[in-house]
Amino acid sequence: MKHPMLKYMKETGPCGDRLPTILCPGCGAGQVLNYTLHAVDQIIKEDKIAKERFLFISGIGCSSRLTTHYLNFDSAWTLHGRAPAVATGALLANPEFKIILFTGDGDVGAIGGNHFIHVCRRNLDMTILCMNNALYGMTGGQVAPTTPRGDYTTTTPYGNVENSFVLCKLAEVAGASYVARWTTAHPQQAIRSIKHGIRKKGTSFIEILSQCPVHAKKSAVEILRSYKTKTVKAKNAEKGDNRIPIGEFLDIEQPEWFESFQKIIDSFASEERKDQNE
Amino acid sequence: MNKLWIDERYCKGCLICIDACPTKAIRPSEKLNSKGYRLPIEENMALCKACEICVLMCPDFAIAVSEE
Amino acid sequence: MSNSHMLRPGSYYFQGNEACIEGAIMAGSRVYAGYPITPATEVMEAAARRFPQVGGRFIQMEDEISSACLLIGASWGGAKALTGTSSPGFSLMQEAISFGIISETPFVIVDVQRPGPGQGYITSGQEDVMQARWGHHGEGSLIALAPSSVQEMFDFTILAFNYAEQWRTPVILLADETVGHMRKRLKIPPLGEINIVNRKKPQEMGIRPEDYLPFGGSEVPLMANWGEGYNVNVVGLVHQPDGHVTRYSPELDYQCIDRKLRKIEDNVDKIAKIDTRFMADIEHLIICYGTPSRTALEAVMEAREEKGVPIGYLRLITLWPFPEGMLRKLIPQVDTIFVPEMNLGMMMHPIREALRDKAKRFVSIPSMGTLHSPDLILSKIYEELRK
Repeated sequence: MKHPMLKYMKETGPCGDRLPTILCPGCGAGQVLNYTLHAVDQIIKEDKIAKERFLFISGIGCSSRLTTHYLNFDSAWTLHGRAPAVATGALLANPEFKIILFTGDGDVGAIGGNHFIHVCRRNLDMTILCMNNALYGMTGGQVAPTTPRGDYTTTTPYGNVENSFVLCKLAEVAGASYVARWTTAHPQQAIRSIKHGIRKKGTSFIEILSQCPVHAKKSAVEILRSYKTKTVKAKNAEKGDNRIPIGEFLDIEQPEWFESFQKIIDSFASEERKDQNE
Repeated sequence: MNKLWIDERYCKGCLICIDACPTKAIRPSEKLNSKGYRLPIEENMALCKACEICVLMCPDFAIAVSEE
Repeated sequence: MSNSHMLRPGSYYFQGNEACIEGAIMAGSRVYAGYPITPATEVMEAAARRFPQVGGRFIQMEDEISSACLLIGASWGGAKALTGTSSPGFSLMQEAISFGIISETPFVIVDVQRPGPGQGYITSGQEDVMQARWGHHGEGSLIALAPSSVQEMFDFTILAFNYAEQWRTPVILLADETVGHMRKRLKIPPLGEINIVNRKKPQEMGIRPEDYLPFGGSEVPLMANWGEGYNVNVVGLVHQPDGHVTRYSPELDYQCIDRKLRKIEDNVDKIAKIDTRFMADIEHLIICYGTPSRTALEAVMEAREEKGVPIGYLRLITLWPFPEGMLRKLIPQVDTIFVPEMNLGMMMHPIREALRDKAKRFVSIPSMGTLHSPDLILSKIYEELRK
């Protein structure tokens, strides 16, 4: 008997065992991987999509360590903030890939901000899963663009004096087609959103509040319980409610990059169109 | 009665599964294992409904439940 | 892949930057990403017009960083991909080149060099020749070519892709504004006569996905692409041959990285290309590369014919890996070695290091921001010979 999702992971390889993961006990990123594999498993079965079409790409950080060498899928563990650019390249080579991007709040909100904005603007077909623990975990707990004002971190030892990014709003304004926020304490909703994001053509941005028990100095169970009490379903929220809104914020249809570009390529295949210089 | 299976190689004793279990069929072990973790053990598997919330929420793919 | 829009064999009149794109198309490249920068913008604009015509995809990215990172994804996705930039943009691409070296990802970067540092200027230069080899952080080597004509912008782009695929490495085409903006005749041969190299795949060798080693197994590891069922984990951390990344040791680091360096440097005799003229009975030698070779050849011919100076001509076509052994075999004892460069003396360093005992004097002939004139080179030669 073993965990049903282990069939999608490389427990071992030609050069040795790869599990257990390097994630800390209770890490939210491990849960997000579990939810993602459940979503992918259901899509493979329900939509009859070949496993070879899935591609996982990540940047740098604890959330990005999910791809490293654990996945029994095609994957890339790339550079800090640059995963959206690498994913764009993979799609340009083969638009059939179903790309899932694992990233963190620092990876996508700070160094990768520009690439994130433009992937959304282009509405490229990929699902971006941002594991938000509101700090830089891998390097020891520094302040991140999503850290709340006033919080103490290793680089804000006297309190954070900056505003914090609302990444979902950034995705929406930049042009994404599907934007949602859940937490690791909402597994069923997260899985449904991830499935919807993968199925939907265009950029899907799903932020998942994800616990870092080590830097929060609380147990994973404590943080998961607080995720239930300090969040509120956006459509149920009343004015003045200070809890974090969760739910699906945006779900629209708009032209996707490859659909649009393919029309240009097709026009040459049928020799209809002339270069403006000719 | 449903069977619980914990992979001692992968479990890190985070206890998320125990907190998530709606029927409290499992509990933490009193003993620490060789890595210093408290693994989940059966409390009363007659209460287990194989809802698999524990399987869903495990960060380390270390738990499985089989219906019998 | 549409062939109806590929150039038919024949003689054309092309700008160097645009000829580069025709070469890329001939080599089978169908992915271009870039960012505008003078004097390389025409490479990108040509790609924007031509790639969709031949069934390829073009995208203008938000900066050079993402343009270079895109090549990594495109290459593992199965495409031959390139980007064109100039010196300031080339600086931004070093991180991606570094990743390309450790992950052994084939792609081509065309650097149409301009003066620097900083904003520098927008005319011609060769100030990135060291950056091409040493600008990426970390160890490891790569291949760099220096074209000197519109024809070579076409030919060497094909060669760059062949080298990238053959050696699984990033390849830099070190052009400059002079050859980039030059317009001359371009001869396109029939496609069947062009040698095209493609990456070797594990499927061809009957290797199963469970046994596949993306970073080992042979001097140049086989390359499976994403989407072929090989579950390839591409990584940038120091790794085992199967991509395993969590058992670091100094021994692993040495084995992992040393192989990537040796892969290129130990094969310098197969990779390096040199062009020599008038090498018999010489007492002096010009070693040159890129567009100053055109002027250098003119100067050598004039010095020999008009003043009887026994001076030879040697052009480096590949700058890196640096062919020290080949040079030492080709070059006899000489009095003076002249090195004209559009910088203050960069390739002079490995040249002097390799040939220290082969010449009494090493003389740099710099020209900043513009191509050398024959007079500039000749006056320096005659001045040195008078001493």
